[in-house]
Amino acid sequence: MNLTPPSLYCVAIDQGCLLKPRGRWCIDYLELLDQLLLTTPVPHDCRVRVDASELTDLDSAGVMLVVNRLRAQGVVWSNIDLVHFSRHQLALIHLVAERLDARGQPRRRRAAWLPRLGRKAAESVSDLVSQFVFFGRIVEAFADIVRRPRLLRLREFTTQLEAVGLNALPIVVLMTFLIGVVFAFLLGIQVQKFGANIFIADGVAIAIARELAPLLTAILIAGRSGAAFTAQIGAMKVTEEIDAITSLGLSPIQVLVVPRLLAIIIAMPLLTFVGVVMGVLGGSLVANAQLDVTYYTYFERVKSVLPASTVWFGLAKTPVFAAAIALIACRNGFAVQRDARSVGEYTTKTVVQSLVAVILIDALFAIAFPEIGL
Amino acid sequence: MSPGRASDAILQVADLHTNLGGQWLHRGLDFSIGRGEVVALIGGSGTGKSVLLRHCIGLTRPSQGQVKLFGENICELSTEQLTKVRSRYGVLFQEGALFSSLSVAENVAAPLHEHARLPPRLRDELVAMKIRLAGLPMEAANKRPSELSGGMKKRAALARALALEPELLFLDEPTSGLDPISAREFDHLLRVLCDSLGLTALMATHDLDTLWGMVDRVIVLYAGKVIADGPVKEVAELDHEWIRKYFSAHSGYR
Repeated sequence: MNLTPPSLYCVAIDQGCLLKPRGRWCIDYLELLDQLLLTTPVPHDCRVRVDASELTDLDSAGVMLVVNRLRAQGVVWSNIDLVHFSRHQLALIHLVAERLDARGQPRRRRAAWLPRLGRKAAESVSDLVSQFVFFGRIVEAFADIVRRPRLLRLREFTTQLEAVGLNALPIVVLMTFLIGVVFAFLLGIQVQKFGANIFIADGVAIAIARELAPLLTAILIAGRSGAAFTAQIGAMKVTEEIDAITSLGLSPIQVLVVPRLLAIIIAMPLLTFVGVVMGVLGGSLVANAQLDVTYYTYFERVKSVLPASTVWFGLAKTPVFAAAIALIACRNGFAVQRDARSVGEYTTKTVVQSLVAVILIDALFAIAFPEIGL
Repeated sequence: MSPGRASDAILQVADLHTNLGGQWLHRGLDFSIGRGEVVALIGGSGTGKSVLLRHCIGLTRPSQGQVKLFGENICELSTEQLTKVRSRYGVLFQEGALFSSLSVAENVAAPLHEHARLPPRLRDELVAMKIRLAGLPMEAANKRPSELSGGMKKRAALARALALEPELLFLDEPTSGLDPISAREFDHLLRVLCDSLGLTALMATHDLDTLWGMVDRVIVLYAGKVIADGPVKEVAELDHEWIRKYFSAHSGYR
C-alpha cells in the first residue's frame, strides 16, 4: 500500500490560486491535514483550482476537512474548480459538500447547580407520589381479586412461588446455618468465661428466632428476588411486552405484580422458619463440640427458654419485609426507561431501597415491641 | 488501496458448513467478493443469511470451512489481529443496535474513541459530518436512540458503521422497516457512498427494489447452498422454482 503522508501546495496562478493536495488525505492523517489547511492561507476573493493529480487517496473525512476549512477562510464553494479528480471522488466531494451545507451542531448545555437541585427535588417528590399511586393500583387490583377470585393468575403465582421460595431454600439454609455456627462460637467464648455454658442455648435461640433469621432472609430475598423482579419487569418494558399486556385488555398489575407480591409474602415466613431451625441447629453443633453441652441438654434448654411468642414475633415481621421488597422492586421495574442502562440503574435502586426499607421496618418493630418475652 | 490489489477478493467464503442445534444450516457455501462490489445475499427466511453475516464478521465460527477477510482467515486470527481487522469493516445491524444509553452523536463517536486518536474538536466535526452524511438532521445528534424513528435509527447506525472510513460494509436488511421513499433514498445513499468511498458491501436483504436498483451481484441461498451467483438480471431469469417465485412476487404488485 502506498503510504505517502499528505502535503499541500498553494501557488498563485493567473486568475486566482492553485491548491495541490498530495498523498493520502485520509482519517489516519486528520490532525496533520488540519494543520496543513490552517497554515495555508487561501485567498477568498478569486477562483481556487484544486488539482488532484498527485492525490493518492481521499476519504470523506479528508473531504470534510477541506470543505470546512476552505469555508472557514471565506472561500465560496462555487468559486472552486476541481480538476483531475476521478468520477468517484467527485461524487464523494459533492455529496459531502452538499450535506455539510447546514452547519452547526446544537451542543447540550450542562445546567447550573440550582436548576439541577430543583429538578432533583421535583423528581424525588414525583417519585414519592408515583409510589403512592402504584400502591393504590395494587390495592385496587387486590380489591378486584376479592370480588372476582378468578382474576388471580394461579400459574404465574405458583411459578413465582417456586422461584422465590423453593429455589431460594438452599442458600437460606446454608446462610442461617453458618450464621448459627458463627454466632454460637463467638457467644460460646463469652459464656465459657463465666462457666455458664448452658446459656449458649438461650442466646442462640432467641437471637436467631427474633432477629437474625428474619433479617438475613429478608436481605437475601431483597438481593435475590427483588433484583430479579425489577430486571424481569424492566426488560419486559424495554421489549414492549408490558404494552402488549395492556393492549390485550389485561392489567399489568394483575398479571405481573399481584402474583409476585403474593408469592413473596407467602414464601418469606416459610423460608424464615427454616432459617430459624437451621440457625438453632448450627448453634447446637458448636455447643456440643466446644462447650460440652450435649445435644439433648441443648434442645431441652431451647425448648424451655424459647417461647412460641418470640418465634411468632420473628415470623410476623417477615410478610411486612416481603411486601416492602415486592412493592419497591415492581415499581422500579415499571419505572425502567427503554434503554439497557436504566435496567441496571433501577435494579441497583431496588436492592438499595429494599435493604434500607427492611432495616427501617425492623427498627420500627423493635421499638414497638421491645420486650423479648423471656 | 493501491491499484494492484483492486481485483483481489476482499471476502472469501470457502466450503462453509454451519450446524445449528443438530441441523445443517449451511452445507458448503463458496463465494467471494471483490473490492468495490455491492453484493446482495437473498434467500427465504431461515436460510441463514444473518448467521452467514455473523460468520463473516467473526462473531461466530462456522462448524467447518473458512472465511477470509482481507486475505486473512478470521478463524485463525488472534484477538489482537481480529481487532485490527474489525476496524476495517463496518456493520449495520438489523435493528440498528445503537447503544441505548448514548446519544446519537456519542454512538457515532464511540468507534472513533476506540480506534482513532483524534483531538476532540476534530472528532466532533467528523461526527457531525457523518451524521449529516447519513442523512440525519443535526437536531438528531443529541437525541437518544429511543427517541428516534426506525428510519432515523438506521441512518444513525449507518453513520456509526461509517465512522472509521471502513473498506467493507456488512448490512443486515438495511431497508427493512423503512417506508419506500426512505428505503430508496437509503439505497441511493449507500450506492453513492460505496462508489465514492470505494466501499465493498455485503447485504442480506428482502427488498427487491434494492436488488434492481443498486446491487452489482446477487447471491442466492437455498437449502444450505449457493444456488445462484451473478448480476440481478441473469439471476432473475434462472429456471429455479424458488427464484422464479421470489422475483414474481415482485411483479405481482405492479
